[in-house]
Order: sequence, then C-alpha cells, then structure tokens
Amino acid sequence: MSADEGSPITHRPVSTERGRDRRFREQVLVELPVLLRVARRLTRDTVDAEDLVQDTLVRAYRAFDRFDGRHPRAWLLTILRNTHRNELRKRRPDLMDDEVAGRLPARDGGGRVDGVPDAALHDDLDPIVRRALAGLSAKHRAVIALVDIDGLTYKEAARMLEVPVGTVMSRLHRARAKVRADLEAHGIQGVRR
Amino acid sequence: MRLFRRAPSLHVGDQPDCHEVAEVLQSYLDGELAGTDADRVADHLAHCARCDIEAATVQQVIDAIQRQRPTIDDAALDRLTGVVDALEQLDQPRRPSS
Repeated sequence: MSADEGSPITHRPVSTERGRDRRFREQVLVELPVLLRVARRLTRDTVDAEDLVQDTLVRAYRAFDRFDGRHPRAWLLTILRNTHRNELRKRRPDLMDDEVAGRLPARDGGGRVDGVPDAALHDDLDPIVRRALAGLSAKHRAVIALVDIDGLTYKEAARMLEVPVGTVMSRLHRARAKVRADLEAHGIQGVRR
Repeated sequence: MRLFRRAPSLHVGDQPDCHEVAEVLQSYLDGELAGTDADRVADHLAHCARCDIEAATVQQVIDAIQRQRPTIDDAALDRLTGVVDALEQLDQPRRPSS
C-alpha cells in the first residue's frame, strides 16, 4: 500500500500543507488527555482506548480540511464517539449512558476507579465519594463522569449523551446533590469561612 | 421540579438576589456562566455570607468528585503524539520536492 492511499490530501502547495499540519497539531495535541480519558470511559480498557484515540486522530487528520476551526474539542469528541459507536455496533446494542458511566464504580464495581491506586487518592473523603458515585444511577454517573472527571463542558457532555444541555445540568445538579447528601450523612458539613 | 431547563442567565438590571444566584450557582462554579453574569454572581458572593458558604460547600463536593479523576499515562500521550507525527510524515511523499 502506498503512503498516500486513502488520503484526500493531494496536489496542495507545500506551504499550505505545513500550515495545515501546524494547525492540526496545535488544535489536537492539547486535547489528547481529554480524548484519552473519554476513550477509556467508553472502552473500559486502556489498550482499546489508545487504539480508539489513534483511529480518531487518523479520521480527524483526513477530515481536517472540512473542519471550520471552531471548537476543536467538540469536533474531536464527535469523531471519537462516532468511531466508537461504529465499532460497538459490530458487537452489541448501543447504550450510551452505560458506556459513559462505565469507568465510574457501579454498586457492584469495587472500590477502585480506573486503576488509580489508593495511594493516589488525596484524603479520607474519597472512599465516601466513591461509594456515593457507585450509588448513582447510570444516567447520573454518566454526566458526572463527563463533566467532573473528563472535564467536558455542558454542551460537550450533552453532545456525547445526545440529550439537551438542560438535561445535563439537571442531572449534574441531582447527582452532586446526592454525593453531597452522602458526605453530610457521614458528618462532613459545609465549610465555614 | 424545574431545574435549569433554559440556558443559565441572570435578569438584566438589579443585582441578583440569593434565589437567582442559587439558580445559576452550578453554572458559575463550572465556568459556564457568561462574563457579566459571572461577575455579578461573584459580587453577590462577596457580600452574602450565606450564599458564599453554599458556593464553597458545592465547590468542595465538586473538588471531591474531581479527585477521582484518573491519571493519564504519559507514555500513552507520547505514543499518540507520535501518531500525529506519523500522519504528517505519511503525507510527505505527496508533497512536491522544492
């Protein structure tokens, strides 16, 4: 297979190519941590996650000429989600909430979160927080996962979950309220300043 | 109960009261509130101890949740950066020599 097989980029001036590559690099590299976090949540496997991000990068590179340059993270997440969905359709029905919630502990999911060793956790609150997260519904865990863990905006999370932004906000509010109630039930009160 | 069904924003004009601030507090803490509204919420929190305590408490909950964020493997990031390098290299043969 030749190097240029399958790529739409042909007969472009070198200076244009270099500018394109520079813009692609600038807009994509900074988003790699978010892409990797979301991919790990979707695939539930570090190797599969890296493969998914790699496939996403290839597709993004090929489609970069059609990208308007606005909201690169949202654009990349859309490609990642579609790439994952295409792969998933080959194997099982699509259940986005369950997929996205996957990397947070479910009620029967044990105490670890995504392979983070206990030593990396910061204080005594964390076991309580993890139990609280495990007690959330899949829909509520999904929105916590995307916004609080992966760092997505409301709009980005809404796009991932295919729900309105208002739904993301209300689910987030309820999920955090549940975590807060669990913390307060363990005697951890609001801060006083 | 209706919660945040519309895009969050404050009424134009008077300074927001505690109820209005409570409605947009989550968006404010998540950095989702537009600049002027965010400034007005910040100003309210600076002068209202009750709302300020509520904001700090919600922030504490958010911080506790965010501490569950998994670490990213630097080696994986390096490999993916290498993928970007490789994509650009693959394009090189198509470029006319200068």
